[in-house]
Amino acid sequence: MTQDQGVPLSSLQPGQEGEVLGLHAQGPIRQRLLEMGFIRGAHLKVEKLAPLGDPMELIIKGYHLSLRREESSCILVALTA
Amino acid sequence: MSHLVVALAGNPNCGKTTLFNALTGARHHVGNWPGVTVEKRSGAFEAEEGLRLEAVDLPGTYSLSAKSEDERIAGHFVSQGKVDLILNVLDASNLERNLFLTTQLLELGKPMVFVLNMVDDAERKGITFDRAGLETLLGGPVIATVGNREEGIAELKAAIASVAKGRDPRVRDWSREASGHGPGDYGHDIEGELVKLQTELARDEKLAASVPNRWLALQLLENSKEAHALVAASSARQAIEAQLHKSLAFLEKHLGADGQTLVAEQRYGFAHGLVKEMVKTDTPSGETPTQRLDGLLTHRYLGIPIFVAILTMVYVLSFVLGKYPQDWIGDAFKTMGDALGAKLPPGELTSLLVDGVIPGVSAVIVFLPVIMILMGCISFLEDTGYMARAAFIMDRVMHLMGLHGKSFIPLIMGSGCNVPAIQATRTIESKTDRLITILVTPLVSCSARLQVYIVIAGTFFTPIKAGLAIVAMHFLGLGLAMLMGRLLRSTLFSAETAPFVMELPPYRLPVAKTTAIHMWEKGSIFLKRAGTTIFAGATLVWFMSRYPGIANREWSAELLRNQQTVQALQIPQAEKDEQLAELHLAHESRIVNTSLAARFGRVLEPTLRPILDPDHTRPEAWKDVIALTAGFVAKEIVVSTMGVIHGASDEPKEGEKLSPLQVALRDHAGLTPLTALAFMVFILIYTPCIGTVIMIQRETGSWAWAFFTIVYGSVLGWLLSWGTVVVGRMMGMR
Ligand SMILES: Nc1nc2c(ncn2[C@@H]2O[C@H](COP(=O)(O)OP(=O)(O)OP(=O)(O)O)[C@@H](O)[C@H]2O)c(=O)[nH]1
Ligand SMILES: [Mg+2]
Repeated sequence: MTQDQGVPLSSLQPGQEGEVLGLHAQGPIRQRLLEMGFIRGAHLKVEKLAPLGDPMELIIKGYHLSLRREESSCILVALTA
Repeated sequence: MSHLVVALAGNPNCGKTTLFNALTGARHHVGNWPGVTVEKRSGAFEAEEGLRLEAVDLPGTYSLSAKSEDERIAGHFVSQGKVDLILNVLDASNLERNLFLTTQLLELGKPMVFVLNMVDDAERKGITFDRAGLETLLGGPVIATVGNREEGIAELKAAIASVAKGRDPRVRDWSREASGHGPGDYGHDIEGELVKLQTELARDEKLAASVPNRWLALQLLENSKEAHALVAASSARQAIEAQLHKSLAFLEKHLGADGQTLVAEQRYGFAHGLVKEMVKTDTPSGETPTQRLDGLLTHRYLGIPIFVAILTMVYVLSFVLGKYPQDWIGDAFKTMGDALGAKLPPGELTSLLVDGVIPGVSAVIVFLPVIMILMGCISFLEDTGYMARAAFIMDRVMHLMGLHGKSFIPLIMGSGCNVPAIQATRTIESKTDRLITILVTPLVSCSARLQVYIVIAGTFFTPIKAGLAIVAMHFLGLGLAMLMGRLLRSTLFSAETAPFVMELPPYRLPVAKTTAIHMWEKGSIFLKRAGTTIFAGATLVWFMSRYPGIANREWSAELLRNQQTVQALQIPQAEKDEQLAELHLAHESRIVNTSLAARFGRVLEPTLRPILDPDHTRPEAWKDVIALTAGFVAKEIVVSTMGVIHGASDEPKEGEKLSPLQVALRDHAGLTPLTALAFMVFILIYTPCIGTVIMIQRETGSWAWAFFTIVYGSVLGWLLSWGTVVVGRMMGMR
């Protein structure tokens, strides 16, 4: 799968799963996302959205994480389920 | 004798502090890291008979190439500090991500002990470990523990002792391995560039001696600030930076990604490989208890009502229940002061004690119950894992205000008392978010200000309008906090971005002991750090409002004569008491109205005239300034000070709706409904009390921010009260 087939993580619905293709962020955000496990090929699943629609909760590397739309839109993923 | 230093390093929430407490007992010292307001815990413990070590609990960190303040401290301390042994705490139920940091720690080349903490959770998730295998691959003892039940602590101490003495067979000497470095191979291309970088780094002998070359080279590839700073100070700076540039370009060309990404991928590759080989997961299918609980607690519709309910409970516990001990303490000090005042011969020393020292001490101690209860609740919510959910639920709203989801609870608690609310901002990890929250919290109207509104609004408005005015004050406070939050974010702090990447840890049942330790720590820190300053400030202002009248012997003698006259009268005791009280009040009133504070009031009054006296009909408007000065000590004493100034008690007489003070305010003070409203607005905003100011200084680590709060509050307060007068007049109000 190539990079341009990916969608931003923020567009995923609860229950959908995907694989990280790359990050469109720079600086501290990029560093933070990398060390939290958003490396190429990492598998993730969107668990739910907060009651007010943002942030989202997802599972990556076996733990739960919450991300604002601002950050999740920088993450390019390929849908797997 | 200096002890060997053991640093506890690990991801946030993996149980470092719990293990630290288990190792050291509760005998430890809590302070701040130099120059910052991140907590530093350290304490001595005996790893075995006669071997004393010093343990240092580090802030949780996901990596060492970190950006946030907490992480920088942890990174700096383990890489450069005098750390003799690293105790790497790992959450066994979430090993892969925890090992990412381990790969960085290993590169420091220090003796390490690994702790698989939370093995109970791991077991529940069906995870089992090949401990011997892990020991070989990591090159150090691996100990399984359950921190909150203090299981495995003896074994952990033994391992620390044997590693500290350099006699542990499990410790691998990586320098003698074929690779010449620790575990973790970054692949042919990266390793090649690392060697080149290390060659350049080795040119600066001082640098090479201070940190391991391989670690520094990797940190440079990862673009770590700390590493760049080290290089910037090096004599070989140009050569190193040139090589780094070349290496990054080479890697980009050959591996198609930047250094940061490549190194992170390799680190996770190592972690993943280790987990795959040494860890067996047989997770029972279905939802975990945490997921089931979250199904309710972060539910689309129920999440918010439940959050509100929990918040209400914390509020009631802290400020309604906490009010009882607070009142007891206040009363006890008052009784003590009165008793001493009656016993000791009247004079300046007595008044120093009775009017200065005792109220000063009281002004500090009354905060203790609320601080301890609120901090206990917050520590409980944090340890259960709910705090992260609360932030998750509220983040959308708070983000609009330029704040963080975790800012919500401190802000709401501010409506009880600003002092513990500011202390509660410690839960916010990002420094900028925390600073903004601290700076806007004083705008939230606290319960002490409520007392002032009740007296003033009750005097000048009908009951319904008074209620509305009081509610309006609270909304005005919250609204201003939001506005200022946005404003500060977009002006002073626009450059700083803290990504909202927050872990939602599994729910856990906290241990009562931990919560108790936490409450105790917060209470004693408050007393030790803030207490003395608050005491000094409170006593000073108290004295300003008493001196020089208090030293006037003639007045004291006159009071005594008049009291004796009343005592000699043939009237019922109740009447006598009333007359005595009146005499006393008149005496006090005379003192306060000629005090230094009164002089200050006369000087300051012209600047406040547009608010307090727009029609120039109030020759005594300066008296309000005395009350405002008292409000700087504590908003609680504004009403009683007004009582003294106007020589009228603030307790309503039986069968009367208004207290004598309220009658005096209405009939003699010259305030109109409009200026009264402006006065309320001003009381809301003008300056936080001294306790809050000192707390801001403590929690931001800077007097500049503390003064900033006073100044911006006063300016904003003036403008808005003036606006109230202007708009009110346009609407025909008087
Ligand atoms: N089930 C279980 N819970 C534990 C264990 N050790 C600690 N906890 C709990 O985990 C939570 C977090 O523990 P802390 O010691 O505060 O974690 P920390 O690493 O100091 O966290 P930070 O300082 O935020 O980085 C607390 O609620 C502890 O009671 C354990 O072995 N098993
Ligand atoms: Mg801790």
